[in-house]
Amino acid sequence: MRRVFADRLAFATGVIVILMSILFALSRVAG
Amino acid sequence: MHLLYSLRGAVWILVYLLFILAPLFALLAGLHSPARDFWTEFSVALGYSGLAMMGLQFGLTARFRYVTAPWGEDVIYHFHRQISLVAVGLVVAHPVILAVVQPELFSPSNMREAPLSAYLAILSIFSVIALVVTALWRVALNLKYETWHLIHIVLAVVAIAAGVVHMVGSSFYLADPWKQSLWIGLTIFWIGLLLYVRIVKPLFMLRRPYRVSETRQERGETTTLVMQPEGHPGFHFSPGQFGWLMVWGSPFKITAHPFSFSSSAAAKGGCVEMSIRNLGDFTKEIQRVPVGKRVYLDGPYGAFTIGNPADMHVLIAGGVGVTPMMSMIRTLADRGDKRPVILLYGSRDRESITFREELEVLEARLDLTVVHVLANPPAGWTGEQGFINAEMLKRHLPPPFSDHEYFICGPGVMMDAIERALGEMGVPMSKYHSERYSFV
Repeated sequence: MRRVFADRLAFATGVIVILMSILFALSRVAG
Repeated sequence: MHLLYSLRGAVWILVYLLFILAPLFALLAGLHSPARDFWTEFSVALGYSGLAMMGLQFGLTARFRYVTAPWGEDVIYHFHRQISLVAVGLVVAHPVILAVVQPELFSPSNMREAPLSAYLAILSIFSVIALVVTALWRVALNLKYETWHLIHIVLAVVAIAAGVVHMVGSSFYLADPWKQSLWIGLTIFWIGLLLYVRIVKPLFMLRRPYRVSETRQERGETTTLVMQPEGHPGFHFSPGQFGWLMVWGSPFKITAHPFSFSSSAAAKGGCVEMSIRNLGDFTKEIQRVPVGKRVYLDGPYGAFTIGNPADMHVLIAGGVGVTPMMSMIRTLADRGDKRPVILLYGSRDRESITFREELEVLEARLDLTVVHVLANPPAGWTGEQGFINAEMLKRHLPPPFSDHEYFICGPGVMMDAIERALGEMGVPMSKYHSERYSFV
């Protein structure tokens, strides 16, 4: 089950990084 | 203790995210070239953050006890494996998105005139793909563990170094000297983590060798190595923890393997024992280790250790997964600790029950109940047979089941089944601990 936690943490990290990359791109485009 | 560990865990997750995202958002500071379209900027952000994740992989495998303690080394390695898939996905998405929005970049004429940094990007991407392929299909590719480990390190260094040179060479975001310094500094930090685990740690191990003072052949094709520290006091460990054992060659060779300590943590003189079953791979050489052989140990590691003395401890072991349980039971015996313990111990047959006789003696000394579960029971066997399951647990444990502390160690399939069974019995995740000995 601790491995399930690690799976979820990896997934959540991926989602956060993608969302932050979108924020980065939007902030660049918006100037 | 649980709260402290949870808080420490949460802090380390935040630090991890900070190390990935802060270098990305630092690119927005100061002067930079005019923005391009959204998709180009998005793909660049994915490339930068993917590379930062790749670099931090060296930190996950650097065996920092303080960092890994809240989860245990096996979970950290599992996270390392899973997050590498995410990182590779991000790194590969970078050129894929660019190829869609700017196909001219990848036209043959453009490729012919492309600068060196573009070719390094290709090298970096192929290296990360090869990294994942060799890690996921090592056995299918028939790669020896040691060969694979060396390839793994070389590919990781090439992927990161080529990726960073590509970023600096492209100079779109890293034109500012301080931003260049930040990313080059980060790269030095990542490589430093690798050097720490491959050079600094082995140097410490070299100065703290152990000598095999005795070898014992146990039931179930298992060999116990008794190891005495040579010229140093050894280390203290908690029962259930493990160490990396290096038997053949110097600590600089990539041939260390993790094994649980099977001896009592209360033993004097720094003496430690590891009981290793012949599983047909490198473990078959263990029975040939001569007395007097110099070996090296890196440890202790792991969060798999006895808990609250007021709780009943339920130890569930399959085969050689009994070794950390033996360390717990022997330690309780040495400390005169009479907490209630029940050991459910699955073995192939009666003859292969490792430590069978010693467990019978310890049952009389402690508040210990041993339930043997045999896959192939002999004629006339009245005990449990088959595999440990929820019904069996319910037969032997007093309710409420969620009040006990559970420790599980054995083959992966068995552990998955037990963890599911405990979930069905309403045991919360915080009450059970598992140790997977095949995490590398």
